Amino acid sequence: MKKRGIGVGSMFYGIGYGFSRQDISSATIEICEDGSVIVRSGEVDYGQGSDTIFCQIVAEELGVRYDSIQMITADTFTTPNAGPTSASRVTYVTGKAMMKAAQAVKKTLQSVAEETLGESDLVFKDEKVYSMANPDKNITFEKLAKQCHLRGLKIVETAWHDITTKDVDPETGQGKAYSTYAWASQIAEVEVDTETGKVEILRIIAAHDVGKAINPSNVEGQIEGGAIMGMGYALEEEIKQERGYIKNTSLGEYMIPTSLDVPSIESHIIEVPVSDGPYGAKGVGEPALIPTAPAILNAICNALDIRITELPANLENLHRLIREKEKGNQ
Amino acid sequence: MQSYEFYTAESVEDCLGYLFEKKEVCQVIAGGTDLIPGLRNESIRPTFVLNILEIESMRGVIENDDEIRIGPTTTFTEMIESEILNRTLPLLVEAAKYVGGPQIRNRGTIGGNIATASPAADVLPAVLALDGVLEIQSKQAGSRFLTLAKAIEAPYKIRLQPDEIITGILINKLPPGTRCGYEKLGRRNAMARARMNMSMVIHLDEKGTISDLRIVPGAVLPVAQRFQEAEKILLGKKPDPQLLETAAEALAEKILKITGIRWSTEYKLPVIKSIFKWVFNRLVFKN
Repeated sequence: MKKRGIGVGSMFYGIGYGFSRQDISSATIEICEDGSVIVRSGEVDYGQGSDTIFCQIVAEELGVRYDSIQMITADTFTTPNAGPTSASRVTYVTGKAMMKAAQAVKKTLQSVAEETLGESDLVFKDEKVYSMANPDKNITFEKLAKQCHLRGLKIVETAWHDITTKDVDPETGQGKAYSTYAWASQIAEVEVDTETGKVEILRIIAAHDVGKAINPSNVEGQIEGGAIMGMGYALEEEIKQERGYIKNTSLGEYMIPTSLDVPSIESHIIEVPVSDGPYGAKGVGEPALIPTAPAILNAICNALDIRITELPANLENLHRLIREKEKGNQ
Repeated sequence: MQSYEFYTAESVEDCLGYLFEKKEVCQVIAGGTDLIPGLRNESIRPTFVLNILEIESMRGVIENDDEIRIGPTTTFTEMIESEILNRTLPLLVEAAKYVGGPQIRNRGTIGGNIATASPAADVLPAVLALDGVLEIQSKQAGSRFLTLAKAIEAPYKIRLQPDEIITGILINKLPPGTRCGYEKLGRRNAMARARMNMSMVIHLDEKGTISDLRIVPGAVLPVAQRFQEAEKILLGKKPDPQLLETAAEALAEKILKITGIRWSTEYKLPVIKSIFKWVFNRLVFKN
């Protein structure tokens, strides 16, 4: 028999390291003579899209084209330390360092532009710098950059961003452990085959407070990817050990979901800005995975009235729990 | 890193000549979806690897009067796309669809699936249910024919001499009105080894009596086979829930008798019974 159920999982999660653990980041931005921009940062983009977001932040601040920015990241030979890609901190901490570096270098550009245009209400946009009140007074970003170089001005800036928190009270455990938190709820709908113990996830709805989605489709990608990892965690993933040796050492034996196992995932981006993130943004990486397994297990419980306390809820384990419940009911 | 002699045969004669000349076991590459991982993790350490994928006559589906001939290097994708198989032996098409994922189905072949003789094979049990016959050739003895049922000796082992190779899989067409069903239970919906599968062929005569029945559960025994004990219970009878239950019991009993109690028994026995009953009911009542 097939039974359906719906479950909810909710979470909050501290972004960054918190608990007085060092949490620093940095970025160096240099404006070239032709108006192109070189950004250097030690932050690793291992697929989550942080280089894209940094590029957007710098482009936004300087009013230049996205493709005029060259990103040099995660090269220990040339880039300043930005801390690791972990703790869902990258957009929140390094994103802010990008913003600060861009704003610092913009000050030099701004002063030269003020002098050249004789105006101070300047806007950096569309590869131009112009007066808000009198847009005819303008200079291209390229010309402005060239001016700075001709004058031999310092047109490279490094920003340092430190969000290391104070520790909590060692006696009471009270205090502000993290500088900000992410919040999320996910809903899963499942169909369980009571004869085989096979769980099919029919859909997942995921609502995540990300502060500000600097790149909404990137955020959706993170949410979907996280939810899929959460599905694997709930239903299949298991490290099998024998006398301390891991037995399932390939992805043929350590089962993660395939594209054919992935249901419709409906992402809802909630934007409640945080004061110290870039444009109010905070992290989404790990939060995307945290509520999924609880939502799935609650959905299974809703379908079968069986509370699962051990993972994975795979074919054999779920089948056994269903049989035990049947025996208990007899 | 391993080193071995790799030979690509250009024709069946060339292939048979090579096997005769080497006189020891050659690893045959008929797709490589099992062989290549085995070479990589060094669970297979061959001296000779014989590639038969370039032999045109070993590939493709041919329809004769009352028989279908499938070349051993016909890929699962080619089986799925074969007009002949879709029309005459849809069971094979269904089974082939459950193999791995698209990349595996593009490489993997029916002959490779049979010769590997994995207890968890997807297509091999369907060939058993269709009473498939292997055409086997060698340079010295020429052709001989062996039913697949008799060809499987042990898990991962079929009865082939070192100088022999499968050159065709022969399956009789089914009488009109024959129904076929296939089901696979895996841990996920693609790229999954069968936890269990079920191949079934059934024919009901005009009175609604079961006149032909072939039941082959997969991944429950070391060597896949027809379950004639269960078939006999239903043959010559009209479909009936009580009889079906008795047949399901017989199926489970046979598995228990052969495998004894293993860690998976608690799961597999009740579930294979369920899968058996689903496929049966689907074929009998929903066609």
